[in-house]
Order: sequence, then C-alpha cells, then structure tokens
Amino acid sequence: MIEFHNVTKRYEGGFEALTNVSLQLGDGEMAFITGHSGAGKSTLLKIIALIEKPTRGQALLNRINLNNVARQRIPHIRRNIGIIFQDHQLLFDRPVFDNVALPLQIQGHRRQEIAKRTRAALDKVGLLNKEKSMPITLSGGEQQRVGIARAVVHKPMLLLADEPTGNLDPVLSREIMQIFIDFNQVGVTVLIASHDLGLIEELDKPRLTLNRGQLILNDLAANEEWRNDGWR
Amino acid sequence: MATNTRRHKPAVTNAISAYFLHHLQSLVFSLGKIYQAPATTIMTVAVIGITLSLPGGFYLFLKNIDAMAGDLRSSSQISLYLDLDLDEKRARAVAKDIRSMRQVETTRFISRDHSLEEFRQNSGFGKSIDTLSSNPLPHTIVVEPGAADTFEIRNLVKKLQSIPQVAIAKLDTEWLERLYTIIEIAKRSVIIITILFASAVLLIIGNTIRLDIQNRYQEIIVTKLIGATDAFIRRPFLYGGLWYGLLGGLLSWLIVEIGYLAISGPLARLNLLYQSELTLITFSLHDFIILITSSTLLGLTGSWIAVARHLNQIEPS
Repeated sequence: MIEFHNVTKRYEGGFEALTNVSLQLGDGEMAFITGHSGAGKSTLLKIIALIEKPTRGQALLNRINLNNVARQRIPHIRRNIGIIFQDHQLLFDRPVFDNVALPLQIQGHRRQEIAKRTRAALDKVGLLNKEKSMPITLSGGEQQRVGIARAVVHKPMLLLADEPTGNLDPVLSREIMQIFIDFNQVGVTVLIASHDLGLIEELDKPRLTLNRGQLILNDLAANEEWRNDGWR
Repeated sequence: MATNTRRHKPAVTNAISAYFLHHLQSLVFSLGKIYQAPATTIMTVAVIGITLSLPGGFYLFLKNIDAMAGDLRSSSQISLYLDLDLDEKRARAVAKDIRSMRQVETTRFISRDHSLEEFRQNSGFGKSIDTLSSNPLPHTIVVEPGAADTFEIRNLVKKLQSIPQVAIAKLDTEWLERLYTIIEIAKRSVIIITILFASAVLLIIGNTIRLDIQNRYQEIIVTKLIGATDAFIRRPFLYGGLWYGLLGGLLSWLIVEIGYLAISGPLARLNLLYQSELTLITFSLHDFIILITSSTLLGLTGSWIAVARHLNQIEPS
C-alpha cells in the first residue's frame, strides 16, 4: 500500500522534517507512527496525502509515484484515502449528515446511495441519532467520531489519522482507537500518528518511531527484505 | 414505483444524473448562503442594482427622446414661397399640381392676404404694415411629404425648388438634424457608460466572491483533502456570482421603473400643456430580458475571474 524509499523532506528555510525514511506498509496492515512533536509524524502523513512532496527519495501509494502526480489527478488519488484530523476539520455551517455525506457528494453518488451510506457510517461511530445536529452542539469526542464517519463513508482503502485522540480523555481515546481497529479488521489499511504511548502499548500494533526526522524504530521492518537492499 | 424497474441503471447514467444533481444542489446551496448572510448580500445586490440602473435609465431616456424625434421627423414640412407677381388663382393651381405629386402627402395653401392679416394681428407691427403701399408677403404652400426618409425629403425639396413659380423651397428641419446628431452622440455615450459600469459590476462581484472565497478558506481546504476536484469547489462560487448578477439586474430594473413612475406625473402635465401625445416608453420585454441576461452573465464572469485567480492558490498545507 505505502512504500517510502529514502524519503527526505526539507522545507523552505532548510528545516529537515524527514531524513532518509524508508518503510513499507502492506495492504490491510495497521501501524502507529510515534515520536515527539516535530519528529516528522505529520510530514510523513502529508506526503502520503499528497499535501507535501518529498525533497528526495521516492514515495509510492499503490505503486503510484507520489513525487510527480499531475494536479488534476490529486483529487482522484485522495478519494482512496480517508483522513482524520486532530481538530476534526468539520464544516460548522451544515449539519452532521451533510458533513459525513460530503465525500460521497464529491464523488457524485446518487442521493439514495448517499443517504444509505452516510447513515451506515454514522451508525458505525454510534451517532445515527445526531445526523440533524449541528457540529458545534456536539462534544469533542462526538465531533471526532463525525470526522471518522466522514473519513470512512466512501470506503477508502487507506485511513490516515493525525493525532486522532489528541484532545480526548483516555476512555474516549480508547473508544476511538477501537473504531480504527474495527475498520482494520474488515481490511482497511490504517496508519495513525499519535504520541499517546500508553494507549499504543495496550493495542499491540506495529510501531514506527520517528526522532528528529529519522526512523529509529520500525516494527514493520522484519518482513521487509527490500529495505536491506535499499540501505546498501 | 418507477425506481424499482430502473434499479440497475448503468453507472454512467448515474454519474451524469449525479453531476446535474450537484449543479442543482450548488445552485440552491449558494442561494441558501446568500439567504444566510442577508446584510452582505443586500449591500452587494444594492451596489450592483444602483450601478446598472444608471446605464439602464440613460438607455430608456434616450429611447424616449428617439421616439419623440421620430414623431417630429414624420411631421417635417416644406414651406414653398411663390413668386410675388403670381395671382391667387394661378398660385392655387400650382398647389393643386404639387398635391398630385407622388411623394406629397398633402398641401395647405396660405394666401398672401391671409398671411398679411395674420402678421398684422400677431406681430404687433400692425400700424407700420398699414403704411406699406403693397403686400410684401408671397403666397405660401405648406407641403407635407409622404415619406419620412431624409434622402427622399431632400430630393422632394430639390424637385419643388425647380418649379418655375416657386421662389424659395425651405425645409425647416435643420434643427431636427442637429437633434439627431446630439442623440447619436448620446447613444455612443450610453455605450461608453454601459461598458464602464459593466466593468464596475464585474469588479464588485469579483471582489465579493474573492471575500467569499477567503471566508470559506477552511471549507475549501477540507473539501480538497476529501478529494474534491477544482470544478466541484468552483461551482458554488460561480453560482453565487450568478445570483448576485441576477438579483442586481432585477433591482436595477426596479429602480429604473420607479424612477420613470416618478417622472410620469409631470410628463402628463407637460402633455396637457403642449396638447401633445407623448407617451413614456418603458422597458419592453426584450429590453428586460437583455438587462437580466447581461447582468447575470456579468455576475458569472466576475465570479469566474475571482475564482480563477484565487481558488487555485488555496492548497492544504
């Protein structure tokens, strides 16, 4: 699903967010990216989501080279990804239902189809009764679950989450993580950036640890023979 | 139900119907946005309406002047002053000949005695005229041409001038020619004004949409991250501009109509005083459609320019 070959990202001004990062996340796998803030977690996700481009090295998503994707193709590649943000990024001018339905509207589904799948996604995160509510009236945990429903409503192959439990208490955080695990169990590839080490410990999933832009721990590396070649 | 029989619609048909559905949704959604922000909308629409009412009103004013001038032209007359030594009987015979000419609608004969009498009564020089030994005024024939065309009238004047008994043939329409020239100048001015004000509307709408884009920065970023194409993001803004143009056009029409209603009172009195039959021309259906269509197109174009300039610069980071 995701392949990084010696990816380096240097921002304008010289700050190097990622240095020679190589990793491979297979279809249907789930992993956590950990590390201090500023270690490069977000940058790594941004490269996958086509928000940033690698300065050096090669990043692949489903064998598509992310280094040089034509502008017009970006939306269509993004439709395979569900992105969950720490600050939810909900649109506050419309009700929960419309927020969750947005990816389906963008992809041009029929109305009955949109209603059916939107309700299914809301049901999955336990918010079916809130479909008419405005996001501002919801609690932080509920808003985050709306964000998750929106990220999965179009059945993406890959879920990316950037600090999805950042502002939530431990009980809610565990609930949110469980939702991700459930999606992973039905075959969705999941990559979550988080510094909630205690919670990650409990979940027993592979970890990728970044420190100042370098990958210092890679639980996925064991089954990656290609990396030895790459490191010559 | 009909939907049951068509459950297995081909995907392409679905995609197309969804495409039009989204267009419709954007149209309604952008109208909803306008409704949600009434203050901004009212201001923008008012500015557009007032701006467009100027060329609109000017155009209508000109249309009225043009119609009046047309009336005057069709009533243009040619005065023929006959030779002084012609007696009345022969003069009347000349008038009769002229009346039978093809290009002549009718003629009116004014005898020299009648003219003198009129002059004596109206001019206030009665006493001094009495001192004259003979009547200095000629017989006069007033000719109403059948045609309204300038060229034909001028030909007729030449023809009448060539009649031996006619001393002077005078077409008293030079002032009308001047009026027409002035109207022509005014027409071009209206075109210039229209271009200038249309550009102003373009800028107003462009700026409003630019602010709208800035206000919805976050929404644009989120939809881009979800995989929205540029066309999808562009659509509600374009329809927003369309609504501004349409509503502004309607308002300008209303302003001009009210303005003309305000003028119609004094004009009716003027009609009474001059015993004329000036009727005020207002926008025809044709004018109305042109006004609304062009203001809507201006709205769409203005927002298109704003969208093209600003939307591509917004990228998630």
